[in-house]
Amino acid sequence: MRKFGMKRAIVGAAIAALALNAPAAHAASANGTATAKILRQITLTNTSALQYATIISGATASTVAVSTSGAATCGAGLTCTGTTTAANFDVQGTNGAVVLVGGDASVTLNGSLGGTMASTLSYSAANITLGATGGSFQVGGTLSVGANQTAGDYTGTFNVTANYQ
Amino acid sequence: MLRFFKGFGLFSFFLLGAVAVPAQAAGDLLVAPTRVVLDGSRGTEVVLNNIGAEPATYRISLEIKRMTAVGGLDEIAEENASPNERTALDMIAFSPRRVTLPPNQPQVIRVGVRIPEGTPPGEYRAHMLFRAVPDAAPAVAADAAKPASTGVSIALTPIYGITIPVIVRVGDLGAEAVIGDAWVADTADGPAFNFGLTRTGNRSVYGDIEVTRPGISEPLLVARGIAVYPEVSAREVSLRVPPELAAKLKGPVRIRYTEDREIGGGTIDQADRVVK
Repeated sequence: MRKFGMKRAIVGAAIAALALNAPAAHAASANGTATAKILRQITLTNTSALQYATIISGATASTVAVSTSGAATCGAGLTCTGTTTAANFDVQGTNGAVVLVGGDASVTLNGSLGGTMASTLSYSAANITLGATGGSFQVGGTLSVGANQTAGDYTGTFNVTANYQ
Repeated sequence: MLRFFKGFGLFSFFLLGAVAVPAQAAGDLLVAPTRVVLDGSRGTEVVLNNIGAEPATYRISLEIKRMTAVGGLDEIAEENASPNERTALDMIAFSPRRVTLPPNQPQVIRVGVRIPEGTPPGEYRAHMLFRAVPDAAPAVAADAAKPASTGVSIALTPIYGITIPVIVRVGDLGAEAVIGDAWVADTADGPAFNFGLTRTGNRSVYGDIEVTRPGISEPLLVARGIAVYPEVSAREVSLRVPPELAAKLKGPVRIRYTEDREIGGGTIDQADRVVK
């Protein structure tokens, strides 16, 4: 936490320095007026991944659901091991600012040994109102596992955006 | 320099492996300001900063988004752009479009506007998207620590970013907004405070919402940065609130919609409502 605070301070300093640079270039005959413009900012940080952990598929097709709070529901016929988590994103910005959350509704995963799986994605909120310490949103999903799904490491990417209006 | 980063990447990979934390995709970011309005030939600058712990490559692009009646922003593919949206994409120029930044390194993105002669008066808007390009080779292969099993393991990588609106105003434009009914309702994610906003005129309205109880100076609820874009004449604003605040909001309230503090903070509309 302390590390994070430090980072923010440096970011602020860097922006202030940038803002200072511009007027200084024009002020050839200035009497030392210092100006600084503080810009409103938004930051987006990914603090945890959407983890379905390890699944051993069964003879029939089934699903594994990870809620936006990270709780897993292992479908009938499947064996699920490991710790599941929902993806978490921290947003920082102006106190009270409303940020819209957008992203893909589904994702296709490709297996390292062939085979594909599909997962739907669910978002904890369509918009968040930032507090003094920012805000966060989570992404969960439901993974469809086929009957005797090919073993392997499955990977996929999905898009998430935090939008100012 | 490159070698240093490679070394650093390798080092942090081992570090992550040692403490068994899932490898985080690099790409945390900061963007400032959060909204750009241009009304003439003058451009502006937007700052992008890598706030992650590792170097990351970011791509900057313009996207089209349309506001929905419930206040969301729908993504629109470029081939489905309306003439107005097409004009916006064509008149906004920016550079660079791709940049690799070490941690805590800010980069200025210059945004310019070229309004072609004969452009009809109106508001033209695109949304500038900043997001990290995921690492070229996701480390799937050669994981000696994990023996081959009959199980299925899954790695989902989010490609995440921030969008801010870039608005170009051509000609003398005006708009007004009126606050409609207000109510508290339960959503799937908990209670929300809702109200309607109706817009008239030829540009968007943008500002802050403050909900107060008559006789109490401390506002019950403040929500900043609420817009009604020209493609909708009315929208619903739905703000999630904690249950105790939802209970408090019921009854007589005053809702005030004010312009952005940076342009004076004048009142757009103010209404007394009884929240059901």
